[in-house]
Amino acid sequence: MDSILKRNNVQVIGDGKQVMLFAHGFGCDQQSWKFIVDSFTADYKVVLFDYVGSGKSDISQYSSAKYGKLDGYAQDVLDVCAALNLSEAIFVGHSVSAMIGLLAAVRQPEYFKKLVFIGPSPRYLNDEGYVGGFERSDLESLFEFMDSNYLGWSSAMAPAIMGNPDRPELGSFLTSSFCATDPDIAREFARVTFFSDNRVDLNKLTVESLTLQCEEDIIAPLQVGQYVTEHTPNNSIIILKATGHCPHISEPEETIKAIKSFI
Amino acid sequence: MPEQINKEMLALLDDADALYHNAPCGYVSFLANGTIVKINRTLLTWLGYTADEILYQKKFGDFLSKGGQIHYEMFFRPMLNVSGSVKELSYELVKSDGSAFHVLFSAIAIRGESNAVQAVNAIITDNTDRKHYEKEILLAKKLAEGEKKTFQFLADLIPEMIWTAKADGEIDYVNQRFIYYFNLPEKSFSLNVILSKIHSEDRNIFISTWKANVLSGQDLHIELKLLNKHEEYEWHLVKAVPYRNEENQITKWFGSCTNINEHKRALKKKDEFMSIASHELKTPITSLMGTLQLLDRMKNDPSPKMLPNLIERANKNIRKVNSLVGELLNVSQLNEGQLHLTKTTFNIAEMITNSCHHVRTEGIFDVVVKGDEKLKICADESRIEQVLINFVNNAVKYAPNSKQIVISFEQQAEQVKFCVTDKGPGIPLEKLPHLFDRYFRVDSSGSQYSGLGLGLYICAEIIKKHNGRYGVDSQLGDGTTFWFTLPC
Repeated sequence: MDSILKRNNVQVIGDGKQVMLFAHGFGCDQQSWKFIVDSFTADYKVVLFDYVGSGKSDISQYSSAKYGKLDGYAQDVLDVCAALNLSEAIFVGHSVSAMIGLLAAVRQPEYFKKLVFIGPSPRYLNDEGYVGGFERSDLESLFEFMDSNYLGWSSAMAPAIMGNPDRPELGSFLTSSFCATDPDIAREFARVTFFSDNRVDLNKLTVESLTLQCEEDIIAPLQVGQYVTEHTPNNSIIILKATGHCPHISEPEETIKAIKSFI
Repeated sequence: MPEQINKEMLALLDDADALYHNAPCGYVSFLANGTIVKINRTLLTWLGYTADEILYQKKFGDFLSKGGQIHYEMFFRPMLNVSGSVKELSYELVKSDGSAFHVLFSAIAIRGESNAVQAVNAIITDNTDRKHYEKEILLAKKLAEGEKKTFQFLADLIPEMIWTAKADGEIDYVNQRFIYYFNLPEKSFSLNVILSKIHSEDRNIFISTWKANVLSGQDLHIELKLLNKHEEYEWHLVKAVPYRNEENQITKWFGSCTNINEHKRALKKKDEFMSIASHELKTPITSLMGTLQLLDRMKNDPSPKMLPNLIERANKNIRKVNSLVGELLNVSQLNEGQLHLTKTTFNIAEMITNSCHHVRTEGIFDVVVKGDEKLKICADESRIEQVLINFVNNAVKYAPNSKQIVISFEQQAEQVKFCVTDKGPGIPLEKLPHLFDRYFRVDSSGSQYSGLGLGLYICAEIIKKHNGRYGVDSQLGDGTTFWFTLPC
């Protein structure tokens, strides 16, 4: 149990009884919840964690075989639930974590009471009769930007390069920098995220859920949010005024209000 | 004294507006939703727009490609919100004419009272030139990694076990084959573990030789028995050469261990063969010498009764020597790949009758030939005869109580199958696969049967040369059938 808590850098804060489990999206770590967690700690027990390969998780536990599918990440969620002996938790997942949470809840619904999806997308690529928002070439160009930002001159991402396993003394830079991660893992996580297709899983969900959709979000456009709510049993949708893909960061107040109205 | 800068010049330098607009970098300010509210002339020039076309009309994201927009939303915005600033993200901006240029993008967040980001001030520097270098560097890095992988692959999978040692002789690298051969724990090996794998007979010689070579800088060249992971010792040739730097100092040793076990075994077999061959040749020669002594004694008074007998005995021994030497010659021909076939079409039954004449005349064995008397085949008649004689002699030798030997042949589809069957004691199963090996004798003690152990090996080579197949079926107590096929 301790090994899981360490592996996923699990943090438990707050005084309440009802557990809220927050799962970060691709590219970030649990720090992305910093603007909203304080609003929940008085009434809830808040659980934060980093997926293996992200943030301060134990990167040595990362394996391409396991995390080459969203199921591998869903297993991280289930592992955390089991390690903390959770039941009936409220799961809040941002971006790709919405689908990861959904996969986890389909496999073991007893752990979950409600799910909140922030900016969910069951499939990012356009398909026949489906608008995901992206063509393959768009994503290839994203991967190129990621590479050039991780490996090029960019100093925002530079600490990630400094987190070289051969030079552990530089590790502290890595962990103190938000969004910095191992470039190889980031690349794989990006591919897993953006090439996933979980449309068939939506109607398997038995747990009540909420979709938080930003009015203007190029990563998860409005049609995608609507698709999710239409195809997921017992899902409601709230359209936020916030723009972008991270309302919990850019418009925390509005996001907190919307989550509270649901739970 | 430095020249005084005039006031007008100073005013110009302090002119914030001029500085802003003419700076060698782009300045842009936009709202939280991306709407551009301020932009300098430098950036306008780079982008190819007028201020009116952009201000309050366009969002920052409009100048990014779709991939750039995702990156911007996924990385830039969260980073800016959390950290308050972002330094040097790498993007591509799209100009009015549709072309793009590389930029580094740094920004700070302007927060309102609620701490929410209200606006963003950003600096943009054109790094197109640097991007070229970056591309080159990334490419070089990729190539270097690729090369590294290739060489690692090469080093690990090369059939040899290879290793390197420091100048003082301490082994500091071994390849995958080395690890695999000795079944060492991955990446951790100590000199003591490796030394323990050397046969105790060779270990001390190796240690002293290696020490001496490390000191003298001479190439190492030593044959050792090394313990493999199946706990068997195998002969290896261990070699190492020193690498010298520009100052002629040894900085490294490069070594290999070549498995010479087969070679060593073959040499041993050859030695054994030499002793058998000498023995085999000596027997008829000794007998011949005895005969000649007898003849010498009676040369003045030849006994008409004994003379023909002695001559026949001498002839028999000479034939024996001749056939042994013939076999040896055959083998050396085979080794040099000089077995040439002269094919003719001949009647099989006639060939068999002629070739088995000697067995019949000796009268102990009854040779029965079964097969279509009219069947003909195209092959090297004398070589096939040699094979049959060998098979028959084999039966005579190893099944002395059999009395009857059956030679049969029959056409089967595109081939003719020849069988030589005896009713002898049979051959143990474990010996069957080796019967056609060179130097193999069923009874390895070598006393019971004579011969060089070459006969069947030569037969096999002749049949192979004819593109035929060969084999032996044997049942202990029931007899043995040696067979071969020839294509027709």
